[in-house]
Amino acid sequence: MEQKVIIELLNVTKKFDDDIIVNNLNLAVYENEFLTLLGPSGCGKTTTLRIIGGFEEANEGQVIIEGKDFSELPPYARPINTVFQKYALFPHLNVIDNVAFGLNNRSYDYLVNFYHLEEMPKKELKKKVKELIKASALEALELVNLKGYENRKINNLSGGQQQRVALARAIVNKPKILLLDEPLAALDLKLRQKMQYELKEMQRKLGITFIFVTHDQEEAMTMSDRIAVMDQGVIVQLGTPRAIYNEPVNRYVTKFIGESNIIPGKYLKKDLVHFMGVDFECMGYKFKNNEKVDVVIRPEDFDVVDLDKAKLTGTVLSIMFKGVHNELMVDVKGVTLKVNTYENYVVGEPIGLKVDPYEIHIMKVNKDEQGV
Amino acid sequence: MNKAFRKLSYPYLVWLTVFAIIPIFVMFILSFFNTEGLSFEGSSFNFNSFVTVADEATLVAIKNSFLYAGISTTISLVLGYFVAYQLFKSKIKNKLLILTIFILPMWSNLLLRTEALGNMMEHNNIITSLLARININFSIGIKGTPLAVIVGLIFTYLPFVILPVYTALEKIEYSLQEASLDLGLTEMKTFWKVVFPLSLKGVITGSILVFLPSLSGFAVPEILGKGNVLFIGNIIEQAFKNMNYSFGSLLSILIIVLIMAALLIVNKVDKEGETLL
Repeated sequence: MEQKVIIELLNVTKKFDDDIIVNNLNLAVYENEFLTLLGPSGCGKTTTLRIIGGFEEANEGQVIIEGKDFSELPPYARPINTVFQKYALFPHLNVIDNVAFGLNNRSYDYLVNFYHLEEMPKKELKKKVKELIKASALEALELVNLKGYENRKINNLSGGQQQRVALARAIVNKPKILLLDEPLAALDLKLRQKMQYELKEMQRKLGITFIFVTHDQEEAMTMSDRIAVMDQGVIVQLGTPRAIYNEPVNRYVTKFIGESNIIPGKYLKKDLVHFMGVDFECMGYKFKNNEKVDVVIRPEDFDVVDLDKAKLTGTVLSIMFKGVHNELMVDVKGVTLKVNTYENYVVGEPIGLKVDPYEIHIMKVNKDEQGV
Repeated sequence: MNKAFRKLSYPYLVWLTVFAIIPIFVMFILSFFNTEGLSFEGSSFNFNSFVTVADEATLVAIKNSFLYAGISTTISLVLGYFVAYQLFKSKIKNKLLILTIFILPMWSNLLLRTEALGNMMEHNNIITSLLARININFSIGIKGTPLAVIVGLIFTYLPFVILPVYTALEKIEYSLQEASLDLGLTEMKTFWKVVFPLSLKGVITGSILVFLPSLSGFAVPEILGKGNVLFIGNIIEQAFKNMNYSFGSLLSILIIVLIMAALLIVNKVDKEGETLL
C-alpha cells in the first residue's frame, strides 16, 4: 500500500551546549501511522518530539510537514497537538474549559474555517461558534469516557482521569499529528494497559498520526505500527514491532527489546552457524564464511528435549515461576542461558536443548559494542 | 508531645490578649464615653464621637485614605507586576539576590526614609544645591501635594507587591505555558489566559499588603503631605494628641472593621485560603 508521508525530519541535529542530544536524525512518518520513539532516558527521544512540537529549535536540519518547512515556526502555528508527560492541565479551569481552551482562544477566521461556516451570516456566527465549541468539547470528553465530568475541577481528578482530559484537550483541535510524551508513565499497570488499548483504538478511529515517546518496550510493542529504537541521538532501528523483535540489528536493540540470549559464534558457511561448540543450521542470513557473529536466541525459542536428541546439554541452575511459563537458567558449558518452558524441572537436573533453524537470529558483531 | 507544643503557644496568646484584644475592647468602650484621656471622671455615656465621624474633615480623611490607598495600590501593582514578571522570565541565576536588592529600601527606617524623600521633594535640597554649583537651576518642589503622597506611598510599599507576585509566578509550571502555545495561543494570549490568571493569588496578596498599610498609615501623608492631605490615621493621631480618646478609639475601631471586612471578602473569594499564604 502506498503511504503518504505526513511529517519528515531531515538531518535534524540538536545540541545543548556541547552535548549532542539528537544527531543528524532522519525520519519519515506516514499518515495515520502510530509511530513510537523508543529508548532509555537520555537517548534523545523526548528532544526529538519537542523539536517536532516546536518547543525546541533544532540547531540544524528541517521539520517538513506535508511538504512545507515548519522548522522555524512556533508551536501555535503547527498543525500539531501534544499530550504532555505530566498532562499540564490548567488548574484554574474546569474540565470542559480545559478541553475547549484551544478552540476558545482561536480567532473567528480560524473557527469559521475549522467548522466550515463560510456561509453563516456574521450576526449568528458568535452564538453558533460557541455552541459548536461546546459540542466539540463534549464529544471529545465522551471519546475519552469522561462524560459527566465537565464541571469537575482538575485537582479533584485522579491521574488516569487527568490523562484523559489531556488527551481530549489535544484531539478536540483535530490536529494532523498528535505527539504523546510518555503519557502513561504515571499510571499504574492495570490502567496503563487499558489506556494502551484505548489509545490504539482512538488512533484507528480518528485517523490522526500519533507519535508516541516511551521507554517501555512492551508499551511500544502493543501499540505501534512502527517503532524507532533510539540510542544516543540516532535511530538505531526503525521497523514494525515484529521485525524489531525478531530481527534486532545489534546488541543494543536486542537487549532493549524483550529478553534474549546473545551468544558469540561463527558463521561457517551458508545456513550453518557454529556456537557453543556445536554447529547449528540457520536460515536466511548472509555473512562472509567464518565471520564472527552474534547469535540471538529468545528464551521462548529453545525447545527442551530428551538428552539423546539434544544439541546442547546443561544443568538447571534456577527456576522461576512466571505464571504461564517457568523461566529456567541453564548452565551449558559454563554459559548461562535463559530458557522458557511450560514443563516443570528441578534444580540440578540435566536438561537437553534444541533450537529450530528459523529461530536462530544472527547479527553482525559491532566492534564498539563488544562486551556490552 | 502535642500538649507540650500547645503550651509553647501560650506566651503569644497572653501577649495577644493583653496588648491587642483587651485594648480593642477598651477602645470600644471608650468610644461611647466623652473622657479626658483615660480618666472616666465626669464622663458620661453618649454618642458624641459618632456624630463627629460625620464631620466633613473626618469624611474627607476617610475618603482620602481610600482614594490614595487605591491609587497607590493600582500603580504599585502595575509597576511591581512587570518587575516580578521580568525577573521571573529572566535567566539570571541568583534571583534571590535580585529580590533582596528590590526590598533593600525596606531595611531602613520608615520615618527616616520618608523624611529623606520629603527633603528631595523640597524646592531646595541637596541635589538642587549641588546642581546650582554647576549653574544648573532646576527644581521640582512637590512636597505637600497629593502627588508627593502618592509617590511616597508607592515608594514605601512597592516591594510588598513584587515579592508575592514573583512567588506566585515561580509556582506556575512552565509546561502550562508550553501547553497553551501548543493549543494555538500566541505568547501574548498565553500570558493573559494562563500566566496572569494563575498569578492572581500573588496579585491579591500584594494588593492587601499595599492597600491596608497605605489606608491606615499616617507617617507618609503627615510628612510628605505637610498636613495638606489628611488620612484617617492623621485624624486618629490628632484625636489622641488632643486627649480625645473617645473619638480616636472610634476611628481605630472603624479601621479594624474595614480591614476585617476586606479580609472577609478575600476569604469568600478564595475559599482555600491560599492567597494569604
